[in-house]
Amino acid sequence: MDIRALMASQSYEASRPATQPDPAAAPGSAFANAAADFAETLKTGETAAMEAMTTGADPHALVHALAQTELAVETAVTVRDKVVEAYQEILRMPV
Amino acid sequence: MSDFSNALSVSASGLRAQAQRLQHVSENIANADTPGYRRKMVRFETVAAADPARGTVRTGAVQLDRSELPQVHDPAHPLSGPDGYYDGSNVDLIVEIADAREAQRSYEANLKMFEQARQMSSGLMELLRK
Repeated sequence: MDIRALMASQSYEASRPATQPDPAAAPGSAFANAAADFAETLKTGETAAMEAMTTGADPHALVHALAQTELAVETAVTVRDKVVEAYQEILRMPV
Repeated sequence: MSDFSNALSVSASGLRAQAQRLQHVSENIANADTPGYRRKMVRFETVAAADPARGTVRTGAVQLDRSELPQVHDPAHPLSGPDGYYDGSNVDLIVEIADAREAQRSYEANLKMFEQARQMSSGLMELLRK
């Protein structure tokens, strides 16, 4: 009885690393990277806009940064709409 | 970064380079009557980025036109030598106007490419909304 309990605790100890979260292999990491990239693009756009307003920086940089931001926001909004739509579709499923 | 945003940055670099070119053209025209002024020329070069797919353009170092300066005869001019001649500038207004027009056309072409990349990405997103 004692031996079996010991074995159980040992095997639990051995299997514990397998259940640890692995940040590299997590399914959400790609999404997290995309979100970080999105935030980075937004920040760049805001910084360029602020510089153009205050210090009169290169207007081409402003236009470029705002177009990149527009691209990123449009992509994010479209993907979000699609995800929300899919979620609502699941909720409407008769159970 | 997607191809669209790469296209946007390449177009933006083209816009910036053409604006730089126009700046040097206007410097040349403004100094067309300056004695001893040599015409400035802009050289374009591709940026050697780490990623070979990103071929943005930039203006290189400004070069001066080394052609001979025309001799202007004006004995009353303070810069004229004992023979009554002084060095004029080697700016040719016709060449400068043509260069400015070319810069404008290239600028418009880059603007069109910028707009096109935006429209294409919007079209792609429109596909997802259906």
